Amino acid sequence: MDILRTDKLSKWFGGLCAVKEVSFSLVKGEIMGLIGPNGAGKTTLINLISGVFPPTNGNILYQGKNITRLKTHSLNKMGIARTFQIVRIFKTLTVIENVLTAMVNRKTYGPWSLAWGSLFKRSGAFTDNKDACVKAEELLDFVGIGEYRDELAENMPYAFSKRLEIARALATRPEVLLLDEPSSGLNPKEQNDQVEIIKKINQQGTTIMIIEHVMKVIMEISHRLIVLHYGEKIAEGEPEKVYSDPKVIEAYLGGDADA
Amino acid sequence: MSQDKYNKLWKALGIAVLFAIPLVISDRYFLHLMVMAGIFVMLTSSWNLLTGYAGQINLGHAAFYGIGAYTSALLVMKVGISPWIGLFMGGFVSAFFGLLLGIPSIRLSGPYLAITTIGFAEILRLVAMNWVELTRGSLGLYGIPPLTAIKLSPGFSIEFTSERNFYYVLLIAIFLTLFCFKRLVQSEFGITLKSMRDDEPGAESIGVDTTRYKLAVFTISAFFAGFAGALFAHYQRLVSPDTLSLGETFTILTMTMLGGLGTLAGPVVGAILLTFLSEGLRFVEDMVKLNVRMVIYGFLLIITILFMREGVVGLFSHYRRSGDTGQ
Amino acid sequence: MESLFVQQVVNGIIIGSIYSLIAIGLTMIFGVMKICNFAHGDYSMVGAYAAVFVMAWLPGWFGWIGSIVAAAAAVGILGVITERLVFRPLLTRRTDIDIIMVSIGLFIVLENLSQLVFGATPRMLQDPFGSATVNLGLFSTSILRLFCLAFSCIAMGFLHLFLNRTQTGIAIRATSQNRNAALLMGIDISHVYTLTFALGAGIAGIAGVLYGTLFAVFPTMGALPTLKAFVVTILGGMGNLRGAVFGGFILGVAETLGGSYISMQYKNSIGFVIIILVLLIRPNGLFGRREGT
Repeated sequence: MDILRTDKLSKWFGGLCAVKEVSFSLVKGEIMGLIGPNGAGKTTLINLISGVFPPTNGNILYQGKNITRLKTHSLNKMGIARTFQIVRIFKTLTVIENVLTAMVNRKTYGPWSLAWGSLFKRSGAFTDNKDACVKAEELLDFVGIGEYRDELAENMPYAFSKRLEIARALATRPEVLLLDEPSSGLNPKEQNDQVEIIKKINQQGTTIMIIEHVMKVIMEISHRLIVLHYGEKIAEGEPEKVYSDPKVIEAYLGGDADA
Repeated sequence: MSQDKYNKLWKALGIAVLFAIPLVISDRYFLHLMVMAGIFVMLTSSWNLLTGYAGQINLGHAAFYGIGAYTSALLVMKVGISPWIGLFMGGFVSAFFGLLLGIPSIRLSGPYLAITTIGFAEILRLVAMNWVELTRGSLGLYGIPPLTAIKLSPGFSIEFTSERNFYYVLLIAIFLTLFCFKRLVQSEFGITLKSMRDDEPGAESIGVDTTRYKLAVFTISAFFAGFAGALFAHYQRLVSPDTLSLGETFTILTMTMLGGLGTLAGPVVGAILLTFLSEGLRFVEDMVKLNVRMVIYGFLLIITILFMREGVVGLFSHYRRSGDTGQ
Repeated sequence: MESLFVQQVVNGIIIGSIYSLIAIGLTMIFGVMKICNFAHGDYSMVGAYAAVFVMAWLPGWFGWIGSIVAAAAAVGILGVITERLVFRPLLTRRTDIDIIMVSIGLFIVLENLSQLVFGATPRMLQDPFGSATVNLGLFSTSILRLFCLAFSCIAMGFLHLFLNRTQTGIAIRATSQNRNAALLMGIDISHVYTLTFALGAGIAGIAGVLYGTLFAVFPTMGALPTLKAFVVTILGGMGNLRGAVFGGFILGVAETLGGSYISMQYKNSIGFVIIILVLLIRPNGLFGRREGT
């Protein structure tokens, strides 16, 4: 069953077409890989799906609802979470606070009700809330950075900051998780750890869409692959099949051959 | 546990000392300085919420101060409402302008927002200067009524014309303000503001509607600044367009940076420190016959930013938990 | 009516050319180092005071030309000193708030220090043309003003040539466009930073002499031009040199026209009204590049 579907999605930046009539569907429970040479429009596609900017044309459907023009924060409340190519963790917060802030129930409470409510609550900081902390610690342990609990996020080693970003996304309890190059800049050992984490997340029932440059990673975890080239979808299917598709080989060898 | 008890004891002691000050020291000038420091505590704390916690660089904060002062003064003088209600009206009208200034912040950040906020304050200052029929222009409004006396019994009432009695009003106002800020900052609301400050797209990705949060924090911050302005109007009983000036904003932000941006105690420490330092320097100026005060302000600001990033408060707290130095 | 209009447009263009000159340095520094310097107008103030001293020694034309050179040199050096001492340590931190605050600190120091050193009394710079005016039918203006316009345009022209034709100029532009790429190409970034500050401040110093000759020289004269330069810079898109030139002329003309047809009292707020409107529609300025992904 489709959990997310795009219908002829296009995005133009001025005269440049970054994504051109891309249609695909994401099956509930799968890991779908999104690959393509540099500048193929992969991140743009993720940005469209996660509502960073609206598409020029086309539609996005999520669980049967049209979400084409919704903003990132609304999409997150509906169950779509994401990570970023360049980590966007909250640097001056501690590691656990990064996760705690993602656990705030923003679906029910807007800024005004949170602000108003805070004035009449029992005293004590939200970050000392026992139940929330236990859950946050579980998430940190899940991605294997539990011992960094009280470290400032900006002092984290790079590989762990990438994991923190995943933990933070998981804290919003997503149905669909969009990962933008989760293992870029990591060494082989760290890449393996990352693969294990992503597999574990998937086993718990989260549908994942992942952009990845490291072929070993993408071939190992993806159930299906989509290949973008100059904004167009040129192939889709099982990893082995796609990998030997002449069009894909052409795109990688003929174009920017750096993947 | 005993640590907690000690903290409570210290807090109670501190509050007792603050309440006892006017009983022990009757020097009117000293009390006047305490009142001014107190008004600045409210201003710096409200600016700190907006800029220190939410990361929205507002260089027009004095505008909210001025709006609060003019609103309350005009409503009391022309419409005849009670100054006590005027204080809140000052806050609410200022909050409304805060909401307005929040609108550009939805799309602007950093230097762009900074310039827009300066523009906002400068335009309002020029309005206060030139709408002479209403504001008396650069002469300012004078003869603003003080807070009305509270009659306790036919023969006994509390007046608020003296520095001492006003000091107590202000003390209560500050406690309420700081209580609100402490609760706000430590709550889910506060951590959301900090997330937004650190990384806006990141905050959006975990479900933060940054637009609404920005509007909310501008409104809340402006309310307290406006309230402080209204208090000032009924204390000084004179309001001039200078209250909206860039110089006033610079004082607010020098105080906050000096004390420690993004901490609860920072603005309080900074406001008190600079108010009294400034008086001390006035002595020095009289001795050396030179206007060294502002130069020293400027150097203090630069040195604070370059060498003590967390301000004076940062020097005393060995371990800073994400900007929260509880009070 | 018509001649008043032309007269005001000409006045606007003249004052606008000085705004452009100040804004160019500001926008260049922002483009290269992402520093938003609220003390930029004070470089002009220091330049004007340098001119006051040179003219006290050298009268007439020699003094005037000499003072321009002296202003550019003195302020250029001041620019480098402030860059090294105040801004450079912050570059690794790169938070907007710290940089803005430190420059406000610098602004307070420069303004009040000059008040201490030079006193608050305004000084006049002598007009090398002896207040001669010229009547060109539709409008009349002093030769000095026309000269200021010409001089600003020449200065901007030279800057344009420098940035486009010389190795160092191209290095500055490259750094402005993409710092990392410039680093990879072997450009000495530190050198570029120093040079940018020297150049940006130096030009502001020259503008200060022109501004001071047209109006007067006093310690707080830098505040208004700073705000104006920011308005211009934002109009033109921060970091965009061509935008700053156009923005300066637009602001100059809008101000003089607004001042004479709408309200003299609100003249100084016209720029702010314009940028608030512009930013609401185009958050990256009138000539700003739209950000891609």
